[in-house]
Amino acid sequence: MRRHLATLLFAATLAAPIFAQEEASAAEPTVDKIVAEANRVSYYQGRDGRSQVKMVIVDAQGRERVREMTILRRDEPKPGGAEEGAQGKPDDSYAGEQQFYVRFSRPADVDKTTFLVWKKPGEDDDRWLYLPALDLVKRVSSADKRSSFVGSHFFYEDVSGRHIAADAHELVETSKTYYVVESKPKDEGSVEFSSYKMWIHRGSMLVVKVEFRDKQGEVYRTYDALAVEKIQGYQTVTKAKMTDLRTKGHTTVTYSDVAYDLGLPEEIFTERYLRRAPRKWMR
Amino acid sequence: MKLARWVADFSVHRRGVVVGVTLLATLAVGLVAALPSIWPSAFPGLHGVAVDTDPENMLSEDEASRVFHREMRELFTLHDIVVVGVVDEENPDGVFNTQALANVHDLAAFAATLRWEDDAGEEEGVVGVDLLAPSTVDNISQGGLGSVRFEWLMPQPPATREEALAVRDKALDLPFLNGTLVSEDGQALALYVPLTDKHLSYRVGSELRERIATYEGSEQYHITGLPIAEDTFGVEMFIQMAVSAPVAMLVIFLLMLWFFRRIALVLGPMIIAMVSVILTMGALIAAGHPVHIMSSMIPIFIMPIAVLDSVHVLSEFFDRYQATRDRKRTIRTVMDELFTPMIYTSLTSAAGFASLALTPIPPVQVFGVFVAIGILTAWLLTILFIPAYVMFLPQRMFEGFGASHGEEGASWTSRFLRGIGPLTARAAKPIVALALVALAVAAWGISRIEINDNPVKWFAPGHEIRVADRVLNDHFGGTYMAYLSLTAEEEEWDTEVFAQRLDERLQGAAAELVEDGFPELTVGFDELRPKVVETAQGADSAPAALDILDALVVERLEGAEGDAFDSWDEVGTALSAERQRDQVFKDPALLAWVVGLQAHLKQSGLVGKSSSIADVVQTVHRELFLGEPEQYRIPDSSAAVAQCLITYQSSHRPDDLWHFVTPSYRNASLWLQLTSGDNRDMVAVHEAVEAYVATTPAPVGLRHEWFGLTHINVVWQDKMVAGMLDALGGAFLVVLILMAALFRSFLWGLLAMVPLTLTIAIVYGVVGLVGKPYDMPVAVLSSLALGLAVDFAIHLLARARRVREEVGSWREALPVIFDEPARAIARNVVVIAVGFLPLLFAPLVPYQTVGVLLAAILGVSGLATLLLLPAVIGLAERWLFRSAAAAPAPATDEV
Repeated sequence: MRRHLATLLFAATLAAPIFAQEEASAAEPTVDKIVAEANRVSYYQGRDGRSQVKMVIVDAQGRERVREMTILRRDEPKPGGAEEGAQGKPDDSYAGEQQFYVRFSRPADVDKTTFLVWKKPGEDDDRWLYLPALDLVKRVSSADKRSSFVGSHFFYEDVSGRHIAADAHELVETSKTYYVVESKPKDEGSVEFSSYKMWIHRGSMLVVKVEFRDKQGEVYRTYDALAVEKIQGYQTVTKAKMTDLRTKGHTTVTYSDVAYDLGLPEEIFTERYLRRAPRKWMR
Repeated sequence: MKLARWVADFSVHRRGVVVGVTLLATLAVGLVAALPSIWPSAFPGLHGVAVDTDPENMLSEDEASRVFHREMRELFTLHDIVVVGVVDEENPDGVFNTQALANVHDLAAFAATLRWEDDAGEEEGVVGVDLLAPSTVDNISQGGLGSVRFEWLMPQPPATREEALAVRDKALDLPFLNGTLVSEDGQALALYVPLTDKHLSYRVGSELRERIATYEGSEQYHITGLPIAEDTFGVEMFIQMAVSAPVAMLVIFLLMLWFFRRIALVLGPMIIAMVSVILTMGALIAAGHPVHIMSSMIPIFIMPIAVLDSVHVLSEFFDRYQATRDRKRTIRTVMDELFTPMIYTSLTSAAGFASLALTPIPPVQVFGVFVAIGILTAWLLTILFIPAYVMFLPQRMFEGFGASHGEEGASWTSRFLRGIGPLTARAAKPIVALALVALAVAAWGISRIEINDNPVKWFAPGHEIRVADRVLNDHFGGTYMAYLSLTAEEEEWDTEVFAQRLDERLQGAAAELVEDGFPELTVGFDELRPKVVETAQGADSAPAALDILDALVVERLEGAEGDAFDSWDEVGTALSAERQRDQVFKDPALLAWVVGLQAHLKQSGLVGKSSSIADVVQTVHRELFLGEPEQYRIPDSSAAVAQCLITYQSSHRPDDLWHFVTPSYRNASLWLQLTSGDNRDMVAVHEAVEAYVATTPAPVGLRHEWFGLTHINVVWQDKMVAGMLDALGGAFLVVLILMAALFRSFLWGLLAMVPLTLTIAIVYGVVGLVGKPYDMPVAVLSSLALGLAVDFAIHLLARARRVREEVGSWREALPVIFDEPARAIARNVVVIAVGFLPLLFAPLVPYQTVGVLLAAILGVSGLATLLLLPAVIGLAERWLFRSAAAAPAPATDEV
C-alpha cells in the first residue's frame, strides 16, 4: 500500500527505467525482487524530485476539500556510492533513507504549513511540522505511520512508503500485464489490515492498483493509479485515487510540474527551511 | 321501544344467523390479517402485521423537527448509539485492570464485526469506523524530545497494572474522552457502538450480551442508550401484551363467574370482548397500520368497554329472569330497558376515543379511531349476539338460575347498595360538599401536574435497562445525547459591498508584500484590482465571483516565470483567503462564544458534558504547546485554528471532526450528554441555551436548533399534551351535546357530566399530587375516563328518571334504583377494576400506569355515580323533574 500511495505522491518523482531489468523476464524474478523494484520505482526514481500536488478529498456526501502543496524529495546518497553520482550516472538501485519537504499553499489558512520527513526504512522516521499561524516548529512522533495524511484518505505511510521488510510477500498471479502480489504484515498488531494485494505493471513496475483487506477479510480500502506519464525518462504516476469503502470517501491526488534530478541541496531538508521556504527550488 | 324490541326479536328468532354471521366475520377478518402475516409472499395484496416500536413515529414522517433531525444526522454523519458501560465495583482500579481491558478490547473488535445484509442487500449493523472504544480512538500526547504524538489509545490489551492505569490516565487527560469514554472518577469506561439504524439496537445488544457472557472477570457490563431502550421496549411490549391481556381476560372471567355463577352465561361477554378485539385488530392490520406502542394497547382498552354493556345486559337478565322464568320475555324487557342507554354509552365512549383523531399525533389518531370502532363493534355484538347467545343455551342451564334478591338471598353487595340509597338522601349536602372539596383539591393537584416522559422510565426500576441507566449516569457525563445545531446565517449577496471589501483586502495584501520587502510581487494585484467591480456585477454570489477571479489567476500563472509567477501565486492565496472568510467556525471569536455556551450549560448542572469543535481545537493547541494546561485555549487567528485542525486530522480518525462541523465551517453541532432523559430536563436545557443566547449574542449571525432523540421526545410530548387537551375538550362537548339530546334537557345533560368531570379532575389531581409525571399513557387515559364515567351516569340517570316518573317521588325511587341498576354499576366497577389489576405486575411502566389508573377511574366514577348523582338529584329534585315534566314521555322511550 505504501507503494501505491507512495506512488501517487512521490512515485511520480522517481520513475527510473525499471523496465531495463524487465527484459530479463525470461527468468521469472522472485517476489522479493518484484516488490523491491516496485518500491524503488514508486519512491526512489532519480536522485531527487519535485512535484506540485493537488489533493481533492471527497466525503460520502460529495463534499470536497482541496489542499495544494509542493513536495520536494531527496534520496540520501548511497553510502560509499557518492562518486557514482558525481559521475552523473544515477544509482537507481538505491532504496534507503530519503527526505521529503512538503509545503502547503492552499487553502490560504494553511499556507506555508510545512512538513519535513526524514525517512529511515526499518525504523521510526523523523518528522517535523511547521505551523506558521502558531509560529511553531514541532517534532511529530511517528511511531505509527498508518494515520491520515492531513485528513486525506492517504496515510503517511502511503506518502512516504512502507518498509518492504515489514510484510511477507507472495506472488499470487503473473498475468501478461501484471504481477499480483499479496502481502501480509509480519506484526499483525501494528496495522489495521490483514493483507493487501498489489497489481504491479510488468512494463513499468509501477503499482497501479492495491486492495487492502481488513481482519474479516473484506476489502475496505483501494488505491488506483489513474494516469501515468513518462517524465525525463521516468514512468511517473501523475494521478491516483485512494478510496475508503467503509466511509465511502476518496481522495484524488494530481501531480504536475514533476521534475527529477534537480540537484536539491541537502540543507533544504532541515529545520532551518521550515519557516522560510527555499523559494528557488519550489517551482 | 320499537327498535329495541325489533332487535331483540330479531336476534332471538334469527339466532342461528346472528351467531353464524358473527363467527364467520370474525374468522374472515382474522384470516385477512393473519394469512399475510404468516405467508407474506402468498398474499401480496394484503397487509400483514407490521410492528412499529419507534417513539419517533409519534410524529409524522414529514414533521419539521423530524425532517431537521434527519438532515442534521446526515450532515454530521451521526448515528444512533448503543452504549456499553463497563464498571468494576470490586477492583480498586475500577475497570482499568488487565483482565477487564482485555475483555473490552475483545468486545470492541467483536462489535465491529456485527454487520449483515438487510433485505435489500444493503449492509447494515455497527458502523465500525465511528465505534468509540479504547482500542479505536486516538491519544494525542507528548512524545519524546518535545514532540507531539498521535497513537491509538489502547492498540493492545495492557499486560501490566501500570499499562492499564496508563490507558486510564491518557484518556482522562483528553477532554473529548474524559466523561465520555472514561468516567470522570477513573473507575468506569464506556463503548459507543454506532448503528446504521436504531432498529438494530436490540439485535446488536443481544449479540453483545452473548459475547459478554463468555468473559471471566469481575467487571459488569451495562447496555443502554435511548435506541436500545426503545427497541427493547418494543420487543417486551409484545411479550407483555401476550401475557397481560389474556390474564386480564381471565380475571374478568373469574369475577363474572363469581357474580353470575354460570360459565355458559359468562362466556357471552368474554366472546364479545374477544370478537371485538379480533375484529378491531384485524381491521387495523388489514388496513395496513403498523402495531405501534399505542395501538398495542387497543385490546386492553376495548376489553373492559366491550364487557361493560354485556355485563349490564346479563346483570339485568340475571335479576329479572326468576320473575318470569321466560327467556324471551326477559330479554325483551331487558333490551327495552337498556337499549337506549347502551346506544348512548357506546356513542359517548366512541366519541371520547374518536376525538383523539383531533390530536396531531398519527399513532394516537389510529389508536383513537380504532378503539372507537371496537366500541361500536362491541355494542352491535351486545345487542345482537347476547340475546341470541342466551337463547342458544339449553333450557336446563337456567334451572335455579338467577338469585332472587329478596330478603333471604340478599348478597352483601345488594345489602350494601341498599344501605347507600337512603344515605344519599340523608347526607346529600355533606356528599355534595365533599365532592366540591375534592374538586378543589383536585384543581390544586392538577395545577401541580408535571408534564414529563422518558422512554427509559417506561421500564420498571428493577429492569436491567433502568439499572444500566442509573449506574452509567452515575459515573459518566451522561448517556442521553442531545445536539444543538449552530448554523451561520447566509449573508445577502451585495456586489458593492463585496467588491469594496475585496479590493480593500487585496490592497492590504499588496501593501504587506511591499512592507516585507517584495515590492516586485504586487504586479498581479495591480492588474486584478480594477477587474473586481466588473466581475462582482457579473456574478450572482461571492463564490461565483471568486471563481471568475481564480480562473484569471490560473491563466496568468500558466507559463509565468519568476516574479510574475510568485506575484500571481500571492494573488491566488489572497483569493483563497477571501473564500475562507465565511468559514465562521474557524473564527476564534465564535469558538470562544461556543466555549462560553458550553461552560454555561455545564454550570446549569443539567448537562454532564458537552463536546464541540472548540474542544478539539483547544486540546490540539494544548498538546502542540507541551501539554501545558494554560495552553488549553482557542488560538488567536482563524489560520491558527485551521492549523490546529489540520494537525488533528493527521490522526487515525480524521473524519471525527465532521461530526462537530461541516467542511464548509458554516454549520457546527454541539453534543450534549445529559444525565437524565426526562423531557423536563431536556426542556430546562433548551431554556438554559436560550438564556445564554439572549444575554450573550454570538459574534456572527447564527441560528440554533435542536436535534437528537431526546429532543424529539420533547417535541412529540408537547404536541401530545396540547393535542390531548384539545381532544378532551372536544370530546367533553360532544358528550355533553349527546347527553342533552338523550335526556332532552340541558340540565340533565349537565348532570350526566358531573361524575366524569369529577373523575377526571380527581384522577389527574392525584396524578399531580403524588408527582406522577403526566406522560403518554396518563394522557391517553383521560379519554377512557370520559367514556367510562359517563357510561355509569347514563345508566343511572336513565333509570332514575324512569323510576321517578313511575313512583312519583325521589325518596321512593331510591330503593328501586339502588337495587338492580346500582348493582349492575357496582359489578361493572369491580369486574373491570379488578380485571386489570394484573397489569400492575407488568415489567413495563405504561401498562402499570394503565392498570392503576383504570382501577382509579372506575372506582371514582362508580362512587361519583352512586353517591353524588343521587344526592344531587335529591337536592335538585324540584328543578330536575319540573323540567322533565314538560316532556312527560322521556326520551329514553323513543329513540
